[in-house]
Amino acid sequence: MTVSPSKAEAAARAGGGGETPASLLPAPIVSDVTSEHLRQVALGAGLQPMGVLPPLRQYLRDLWARRTFTWELASSKAYARNRNNYLGQAWSVLTPLLNAIVYIIVFGIILKTTRGVDNAIGFILVGTFMFRFFELCVSGGGKSIRGNTSLVRAIRFPRAVLPVSVVLAELVTLGPAIVVMLVVTYLSGLGEFSEYAYVPVSWHWLLLPVAVVLLAVFNVGCAFVMARWVAKAPDVQNLIGFAMRFLMYGSGVIFSIQHYVGNEVIQTILERQPVAVYLELTRACVLDEPTIPLTWQTWAWGVGWAVVFAVGGFLYFWRGEERYGRD
Amino acid sequence: MTDAELDFEVDPEDLEGWAPAAREIGGPSLVVDHLDITYRVFGGKKLGTSDESSSRRLRRVVGRGSSHVGAVQQVRAVRDVTFVARHGESIGIVGINGSGKSTLLRAVAGLIPPTKGSVYVAGEPSLLGVNAVLMGDLTGERNIMIGGLALGLSRAEVQARMKDIVDFAGIGDFVYLPMKAYSSGMGARLRFAISTAATPDILMIDEALATGDASFREKSKARIDEIRQGAGTVFLVSHSLATVQAICSRVLWLHQGRLVMDGPTEEVTAHYKAFVQSLRKQQAKARPKG
Repeated sequence: MTVSPSKAEAAARAGGGGETPASLLPAPIVSDVTSEHLRQVALGAGLQPMGVLPPLRQYLRDLWARRTFTWELASSKAYARNRNNYLGQAWSVLTPLLNAIVYIIVFGIILKTTRGVDNAIGFILVGTFMFRFFELCVSGGGKSIRGNTSLVRAIRFPRAVLPVSVVLAELVTLGPAIVVMLVVTYLSGLGEFSEYAYVPVSWHWLLLPVAVVLLAVFNVGCAFVMARWVAKAPDVQNLIGFAMRFLMYGSGVIFSIQHYVGNEVIQTILERQPVAVYLELTRACVLDEPTIPLTWQTWAWGVGWAVVFAVGGFLYFWRGEERYGRD
Repeated sequence: MTDAELDFEVDPEDLEGWAPAAREIGGPSLVVDHLDITYRVFGGKKLGTSDESSSRRLRRVVGRGSSHVGAVQQVRAVRDVTFVARHGESIGIVGINGSGKSTLLRAVAGLIPPTKGSVYVAGEPSLLGVNAVLMGDLTGERNIMIGGLALGLSRAEVQARMKDIVDFAGIGDFVYLPMKAYSSGMGARLRFAISTAATPDILMIDEALATGDASFREKSKARIDEIRQGAGTVFLVSHSLATVQAICSRVLWLHQGRLVMDGPTEEVTAHYKAFVQSLRKQQAKARPKG
């Protein structure tokens, strides 16, 4: 058919293409070159096989090399989120606050599920803000591969950038929300509100960022797992909402587990599962509840869960690296 | 397949000085070994209404039990394709709609993992497609930054090239507006400028050159030549045979996911042209006269 520039190519076309006169369509070129021969040619020329799982060390190095990209993606996402509203960025504070107000009215004031808690407003505020952070990271992590298919198919980069940037974006958005959370919590305990205990501004507040970062690390692990699951089976995204509702009631976001769960074994399990641990940790930092002391034990659990989930989630995500973007 | 999608008309001003420059052909830069790509498509119903039966034949359901639950279809987009590309080569990929051109390009770029077979590649390929939308809500400036960082440039490098990229794309002050406010031509030009900002080892262009006026085409042609001169390999998918003839030294013809012809541009395009014209005649005959 043509003069081929190399042996490999000539061989690659050996089966090839006379025209079928009726349709003018040549017969498909069926190459009889063995894969082994092509492999030799490719590796001989210093080419790298593609779609093969990158070694873990190299993957980590690539991921680190794209840290500016990850950060840029996160901050852009955080900024772009509320651009279509009149109130713009104010919504990143208003949404969690309105969300918390609903729970405070229904559960704190009407149903009074926060019995055994001195300051119900602070208790529910911290609980809903932190749980929302977790929830957004998980559902955002789930969408991180599937929702960015065009980017994934356009440019090659370590895909772990996407779940990480989702959590970073949520963290950036959480910053101002935390300030509002602290202010409202403090105001709730002032003077005339005799019903709610005074929340002193203590040095414990300085530990809140540490607790939030631990939660964020834990969230990254969860986002990794969800990203791979949803990339594999999009149906999982639909289940996240239900799982989250279950977790919300199982973590004492709007009530105290201690006060409501009688069975000691179940109580211990519910209190030591990661989401409850982080809620306890953040509450212990902000509030002045005698039932929620800030203990080394809680910190240990928080660090432990963060490490286990981040490492496990990352490895799980990395194992699927070469499959993302397929569908 | 409409006539608009197949553009044989050679615009003389476009072609001036556009003959693919003869260039040193180096060693292999890409080896594609018996590549098969099968897509999973969710929730599709059986495709192929009467007027597009020929072009969409490929996408036909393999498992016919298409129902509303578990409607997952397998699409065999690329089947048993083998070829070797070399440094300094510019390769066009032609074929009618649904023949697997874009899928092949994405697989070769390492963006879609092979179902069977393998792809070997030198360096980092960069794919430039019309659909490679970065983020519509963000300004062009921010998109340039994200795109550049994704390609592996540093923040300082992107900033240094920012002006070049904006000038190349010819979008002027629009760079400060969200990309969703851009015309499709502006978006495509900006994407081309971003994708070529980091001189890639392998540049893949998917229909992107169709947009833009003669002067932009000339600029992009010069940019492509530059990449080839730097021992890069350029792949181009285009419905415009004029563009393929102008840029490519070698052409692959895909049909229903299979490679049916591989050779110098003149030879393959001549055969392909004849094939498409006969196909068109046949369709015209089949079409009821109204």
